[in-house]
Amino acid sequence: MLSHLLPGLASLAKRGLAGWLVIFGGILVSVVVVMTIVSPWIAPHDPSAINVGQPLSPPSSQFPFGTDDVGRDMLSRIISGGGIMLQVAILSVIVCLMIGVPLGLFSSHTGGVIDRFVSLIMDSVYAFPGLILAIAIALVLGRGVINMALSIAVVYVPSYFRVIRSQVLSIKEMPYVEAANAAGARKRTVLSRYILPNVVPSIAVVATVNFADAILTAAGLTFIGMGVPVNVPDWGWDLTNGRRLLPSGAWWVITFPGVMIILLALGFTLMGEGLSELLSPRLEQ
Amino acid sequence: MKDAKAVSKMVIVGVLIVVIVIAGVVGYYLTIPSKLKETLIMGTTDSVESCLDTARAYDYFGLEIVQALGSPLVAYKPGATGVESDFIPQLATSWSVSDDGLHWTFNLRQGVKYDDGTEFNATDVKYTFERGMGIADPDGSFVGIGYSDFIESITVVSTYVVEFNLKRPFGAFLSLMAYQGSYIVDPKYAPMHGTSWNVSDVVVYKDGDPRGSNPMGLGPYTLKSWTRVAGKDTEMSLQANPNYWDASSGYPKTKNIVIKFYADSADLALAITAGDVDVAYRQLASTDITSMKSNNNLKVWNGPGLIQYLCMQEKSLPFNNTKIRQAVAAAINRTALVQTVFQGDAEELYSMIPIGMLGHTDAFKTLGDANYSYTKQLLAPLGYNENNKLVFTLWYETSGHYPQSAQQALVLKSSLEASGVISVYLESRDWAAYRTARQQEIMHSYILGWYPDYIDPDDYIYPFVQSSGGSWLHQNYANPTMDRLIEWARGNTTESARASLYGQINDLMVQDCPIIPIYQGYAYAVSRTNVQGVYLDATQTWRLWLIYATE
Amino acid sequence: MTLRTYIISRILLTIPMIFILLTTVFLILRVLPGDPVLLHFEKMENPAAMAAMRAQLGLDKPLWAQYFDYVVGIFRGDLGKSMQDYSPVAQQIFSAFPATLELAICSMIIAVLLGVFLGVESSKAYNKPKDQVIRVFGIVTYAIPVFFLGMILQLIFGVGLHWLPVGGRISPTMEPTGLNIGNLHFSTGLFTIDSLLEGNIYKFVLTLKYLLLPSLTLGLVLCGIFIRLTRSNMLETLRLDFVTAAKARGLKESTVTYSYALRNAFLPVLTMMGLQFAMLLAGAVLTETTFSWPGLGRYLVDRINFRDYTAIQGTVVVFGIFVSIVSLAIDLLYAYLDPRIRL
Repeated sequence: MLSHLLPGLASLAKRGLAGWLVIFGGILVSVVVVMTIVSPWIAPHDPSAINVGQPLSPPSSQFPFGTDDVGRDMLSRIISGGGIMLQVAILSVIVCLMIGVPLGLFSSHTGGVIDRFVSLIMDSVYAFPGLILAIAIALVLGRGVINMALSIAVVYVPSYFRVIRSQVLSIKEMPYVEAANAAGARKRTVLSRYILPNVVPSIAVVATVNFADAILTAAGLTFIGMGVPVNVPDWGWDLTNGRRLLPSGAWWVITFPGVMIILLALGFTLMGEGLSELLSPRLEQ
Repeated sequence: MKDAKAVSKMVIVGVLIVVIVIAGVVGYYLTIPSKLKETLIMGTTDSVESCLDTARAYDYFGLEIVQALGSPLVAYKPGATGVESDFIPQLATSWSVSDDGLHWTFNLRQGVKYDDGTEFNATDVKYTFERGMGIADPDGSFVGIGYSDFIESITVVSTYVVEFNLKRPFGAFLSLMAYQGSYIVDPKYAPMHGTSWNVSDVVVYKDGDPRGSNPMGLGPYTLKSWTRVAGKDTEMSLQANPNYWDASSGYPKTKNIVIKFYADSADLALAITAGDVDVAYRQLASTDITSMKSNNNLKVWNGPGLIQYLCMQEKSLPFNNTKIRQAVAAAINRTALVQTVFQGDAEELYSMIPIGMLGHTDAFKTLGDANYSYTKQLLAPLGYNENNKLVFTLWYETSGHYPQSAQQALVLKSSLEASGVISVYLESRDWAAYRTARQQEIMHSYILGWYPDYIDPDDYIYPFVQSSGGSWLHQNYANPTMDRLIEWARGNTTESARASLYGQINDLMVQDCPIIPIYQGYAYAVSRTNVQGVYLDATQTWRLWLIYATE
Repeated sequence: MTLRTYIISRILLTIPMIFILLTTVFLILRVLPGDPVLLHFEKMENPAAMAAMRAQLGLDKPLWAQYFDYVVGIFRGDLGKSMQDYSPVAQQIFSAFPATLELAICSMIIAVLLGVFLGVESSKAYNKPKDQVIRVFGIVTYAIPVFFLGMILQLIFGVGLHWLPVGGRISPTMEPTGLNIGNLHFSTGLFTIDSLLEGNIYKFVLTLKYLLLPSLTLGLVLCGIFIRLTRSNMLETLRLDFVTAAKARGLKESTVTYSYALRNAFLPVLTMMGLQFAMLLAGAVLTETTFSWPGLGRYLVDRINFRDYTAIQGTVVVFGIFVSIVSLAIDLLYAYLDPRIRL
């Protein structure tokens, strides 16, 4: 894999700012993912253990990120806290891909009344304020990582649907597709051999934006009290808890998780920005 | 020569005049009182829980407002510690009790007027109490305290004399008369709709009609405006009652009170620091209090505060077994909680009766703190050990109703699990859903708190472990022996006898272990430096009419 | 297609969309695992109370009958009864709505003004450091959780500099009363407008003081999108021939930029406003909680905590209808201004 990665990176770098955005964003994301995966080994303390240090002590050499109000080590919590957000984001993207992509392919390829009907439903959901719909669904399903992911996924399926559909509709008119159809190729073959590969780049862009939004929505849901149970280390939970401690001057409890969330969301957003510029070259490039 | 003398005379006179004028002006400025601000802004995270009707209201904030809108027969003086001499006459000018303790007679103040000019008299007192006991709202204090358990009837002896006839002597009766539930209503605003009192007679919030939303009258303030959106207060303001019977003494000190509601302690802390409000009361985090103590623009007031305790659902596993309850009681670590959550700003509590009050003993110390060997000893015969842990759920509220509930739960969980034989799951709900869950009796164990209704050990015992008094807790605990002890203790008037009875009650509580006291805290208020008149005393009430700010 | 035909067809399209929305919300709350009453009571421990609630709220009827009542009710303005005290949800939503509307409008204004201005500056300094900085700014502000940013602003402007209040909407008893002529009384619920109607400048300024921090927070988070949009549109337009021609004629650069190019970028910004409105309402939920702003978002959060499903359903429906109407209005306005899209 690495042998493909390095030349890939090099060609990305050649593509100017957009390429750098993708690389930089990708690095941010990878660092967070790797950190979360190895967290059980590198975290200096158990992130859920209380009274590891004096509660609310500011950053020091012993606790570089300070401790929170029950004496938990913030550094360990930062290292381990991305898990929930990443799980929610990845899960919601997978669900979206599994539902949105086939639905988009099917609907646009079939055309006709079915297409219009499905598009109508998708447009209605798309127009809806995402967080609010996610709240309604999460309420009914209950708390927990999977339910949060499902709520977010439902809100994002239309984005994938629309992008795929518009791509498919434009590709459908292409001569080689018409030729394939005229030659009697099966629908499935046309789909997988001609349309799908062309659609993948757009999906990638949507997916990165989806990741970023999923993370921010998960933070939002936690803020209003619909997050995961209290002793699982989670940046969203620390952010919410840290808010209460901020007026007394304990800035470190809210700041570090906040920065991590921003970095992670930023990483995905940068990748998305870069990818979308690479894929739709602008006049000035 | 003549001219020079005339001139010097004139100079002397002129200087004298100037000196006198200056002295007069200076004297004037030194003696005029500094002006009081007309409007005081109070910030809080509280909200009226149900309504402002004494027949149903049993929440701290609701009763806080009731106290500003109404008047009682007697009250505790500001700074009270709870002794007999702390009572001051309010609507009653004097009182006496018969030798057998069964008849309390109150002489009422004359010339007290409701807002429409009608005069207050004994029939209004009878009306108020018959109404409260008649409505008997299960959520209210009349049932929770058990007024009907000892009040047999109320007699109007004459226009200004009223008599309470009790079923049995009640040592804390006068104290109960000072409690907000006993504040006198205005019958015009608290009518009976049917032929007898019914729960539907409770006066509830009416949008756009503050006067019609509360049945009180005769207090230092009237409710000028009150808006609520779906159970949450959005604005409230009080203004001085022109007919207040004690207005001549200068009350209320501040003519207008505006109450601003904040979503959580962070917002409230920011607001008082920024000066958006003059005084902040309930709830600020203990971290906020600590940092505000060193802020020169703020004054931190404190006084005795709430107690908190752990309830257990005793109708089913695991807590239907006394040994298990005792095992859990032995495993909790109060010191860890007090140190971690409150930075030492609270005290470990080993009895449901608070420290300093008659009847307090350190009974639960026999079970110990973090007494893990004892815990294991109790659990082993029941089959619980390191490989087969006792598992249960601990619930806490998330609305900031009590201070730092999530942190308390975390520390409790940690100390319970440190025993090695217990495994705790944490569950939480916001306050309204938490209360519902309590009513539905679905929580294994749950943390609650208590502010006194009246300053007497009975108020810390009857509402908890008496079979009907404790029904609001929904723990399903009942022990006839306990009930008997409680009745003797509350009926007795001799201090030494009561102390010994409460000692027995405490011991029985450790034996049955229906409820586990955890800590006793402090009440805090924070104000700008120009604010005076804040009293946080043993009554744990908030006397709005005493607070003022100088310009 | 003529304007009229477009308008009619667009409106006709909105109706099924709203229907789908209503149905989706209904299905979420009735059909997904979870019966509203059961969820409210959280466990089947009190059958009598649950049955009583079901009867009171009409939830004991068959599903299709409930759906029918629900849809008809919405058209009549009846959004059901709150599970807390059986009072009409519509009335509660109606009283909380103006606050959110005011916040949304003000935030959108800030987002657009800030976004367009920065977008223009960015395009003028194309590929220079100023351009990169502005672009990064736009991306970063979008990635900041709204409540985190709000807290920072509260600290800086509310506590640190003490310029603005940290929360709430306005001092009670200071609310603008709107237009009062004799017996005629008219108020919109939007305090900015009401205070002007009342002719009270002091109240107007006070309203703005409370409004500024929450709308600034929300506006900052959303401006990034407008920066990007304006920038790319400006860049495209600046290369068009007529602009070059205008420049050749010797017109000042700023005239060129602002009168020709900006006018062209205006339409996409308008569309984006419509699309972003949904995001705005979502952000309002978090902002209102942070700033104790008594609007519909805060109402929703309170109702969630109480598990008041009928109220939540009503709120979600109102949000949805509101978004549909706004996007309809934007589309119609766009169609009026740009004949091309009607084709």
